Amino acid sequence: MVARVLAALLLSTTVLAGCGGSSGDSNPNTLRLWHYEGPESAMGVAWTAAIAKFEATHPGVRVEFEAKGFEQVQKTAAMVLNSNEAPDVLEYNKGNATTGLLSRQGLLTDLSEQAAARGWDKRLPAGLQTTARYDDRGVLGSGKWYGVPNYAEYVTVYYNKDAFAERGLAVPTTLAEFTAAMDVFVAAGVTPLAVGGAEYPAQQILYQLALGKADRGWVDRYQRYTGDVDFHDAAWVHGATTFAEWVAKRYLGPESSGMKAEDMGLAFMQGKYPIMVSGSWWQGRLKSGIKGFGWGSFPWPGNRMSAGSSGNLWVVPAGSKNKELAYDFIDITLSQEIQDQLRDAGGVPVSPGAVESTDPAVKALIGDFDTLVRNDGLAYYPDWPAPGFYAVFVSATQKLITGAATPHQVLDEVAKPYAENRATIGG
Amino acid sequence: MTATVHPRHRRDPARHLVLWGLVVLAAVMLVPFAIIVLNALKSPAEYAASGPLSVPDEVYTQGIVDFWQRVDFGVKLLNSLVISGSVAVLAVVVSVLNAYALGIGRIRGRLWVLTLFLIANTLPQEALVYPLYHLFKQVGLYDTRLGVVIVFTIVQAAFGTYLLSSTLSGFPREVLEAARVDGANRWQVLVRIVVPISRPTLGVLLVFFFIWTWNEFLIPLVLLISDENQTVPVALGVLQGQRSMDATTTSASALLGVLPAVVFFLLFQRTLTRGMTVGAIR
Repeated sequence: MVARVLAALLLSTTVLAGCGGSSGDSNPNTLRLWHYEGPESAMGVAWTAAIAKFEATHPGVRVEFEAKGFEQVQKTAAMVLNSNEAPDVLEYNKGNATTGLLSRQGLLTDLSEQAAARGWDKRLPAGLQTTARYDDRGVLGSGKWYGVPNYAEYVTVYYNKDAFAERGLAVPTTLAEFTAAMDVFVAAGVTPLAVGGAEYPAQQILYQLALGKADRGWVDRYQRYTGDVDFHDAAWVHGATTFAEWVAKRYLGPESSGMKAEDMGLAFMQGKYPIMVSGSWWQGRLKSGIKGFGWGSFPWPGNRMSAGSSGNLWVVPAGSKNKELAYDFIDITLSQEIQDQLRDAGGVPVSPGAVESTDPAVKALIGDFDTLVRNDGLAYYPDWPAPGFYAVFVSATQKLITGAATPHQVLDEVAKPYAENRATIGG
Repeated sequence: MTATVHPRHRRDPARHLVLWGLVVLAAVMLVPFAIIVLNALKSPAEYAASGPLSVPDEVYTQGIVDFWQRVDFGVKLLNSLVISGSVAVLAVVVSVLNAYALGIGRIRGRLWVLTLFLIANTLPQEALVYPLYHLFKQVGLYDTRLGVVIVFTIVQAAFGTYLLSSTLSGFPREVLEAARVDGANRWQVLVRIVVPISRPTLGVLLVFFFIWTWNEFLIPLVLLISDENQTVPVALGVLQGQRSMDATTTSASALLGVLPAVVFFLLFQRTLTRGMTVGAIR
């Protein structure tokens, strides 16, 4: 009797647990699409519009969209793409450790033919194509197309217009003017820079400073392993020593070593600091979050180059069953109509529209980006060249902020894992 | 105790100290929850203006509604309930059967079996992920709730077996012998004697297995790919962006995520306390 009850119990739970889970079926009239952007972000808004446009231009085809978490895609992409559950098209992080790795494992479709036939290679500026193409080693910058970006991002300087006007400060155009402006704030007892030292913002400032003395060849040697990298050359030394100098001059406060990016943004939005050096991904947040004062952005003063790159990529898994539909969808995200929607929602489009935006903040952001692209000034991000480099840079800049290490010690600390990685990939 | 003052009326400073210590500790434990509730009911604009610690001017429930609709939270709740419920029941059944053999049956080599279970229990889940993925893909259990139920039934039963075996090895032998004398076979001893007497302990195990499975994140994250199969903790991860954090919606989701476990705990709270006191007396 008991055995029968147990068997019934087992069976019922098994049946309950087993139902569903048939999403791996392929249907020629369904495009399975994943991305991990919030619905209110610029990308979320633009891509929702792209899905609607896709369905309108493809009668009878349904888009089955699933909103994924960033972490889930990062942790499980290789496993999912190697199974029957892979979607037809998905958003994925650009870079050697992500798209590069998957391309080397043969999990992604080579999009070179489509890029040429559909003109993606002409529509995307050269600086943005870098992150779309990967060679046989999975290193970005050359080789086949494995992904297509449809937005861009770069590091800029957000500032509190009211705080600048109050002290009679103009928008600085050189590094000297920039530091002079910050001196004024320090003299008035205000810490000028909001910096999230516990995350990416501090290392981006150090990189911006180094880029002031760098050129395209320097960036290529560092990011694409085209030549030897010396962490004690003029650019890196300038970056690290100037950063330490800024700490000594109180441009950034000691509290910043423990601040997260979110804290930094919040503090800037609340008007506690007049300047925030960070990425264009803040634009939408600032627009909806800042109520009490005027704000805007200006490019990092005096630099030809700046940290920045294409946004994340659309990739097509090798196992996608509806590749043609996936290509069509990618094509739509690059269309002017969708690009304009992206821009109006606070994103940086890859192709600026014929008609300028009416929002002055958006206009400045897009204009500065166009200048950067025209100067071939996209320098990517400092943590890209080696896996785990992000944490190394966070700890290095924290030591500069707390004064636990000298600039040269910090550069040594960064040089070691870089050299180790170069040795393993044979670059 | 007859001649002395009743302990309740005695002024013992040590007792007060302990009491106040516990009150402070409880308050400290509750602070994160309070912050979550505070921010879950705050509008994003107000969060941006005055930060995470301010008390909201008005109760804002749109964040909770938005999150519910965005991730189709009802489906996730059902998935979590089905998975955690199945695991709790199955793992208790397996634990009892194992422990009966190990603790009362005293099979040969039981020490080694127990050691094996203990090792299985201490294995980090990160180490299990890849083998499970490949195994499940082969047998067609990848991205099914059944697969996750099987994994956690085994994981929880390993602990349950370990715990119950030691409890049952102290089971009064006289009771078992009396049952044998009365003509009960092994099944009858288990079902009529051992299970009813251990019921409070089993209840505790059931509750713990349910809550532990409910809170599992990594294995469901890796094995449950489709939206329709995902559990509550995985759904909460959707809000963590690459560079952005929507604090108010995240708080709203956290609130929705912990509520079911809290409700379950309150429902079974009496089982828990009963199980604990039974254990204490024995």
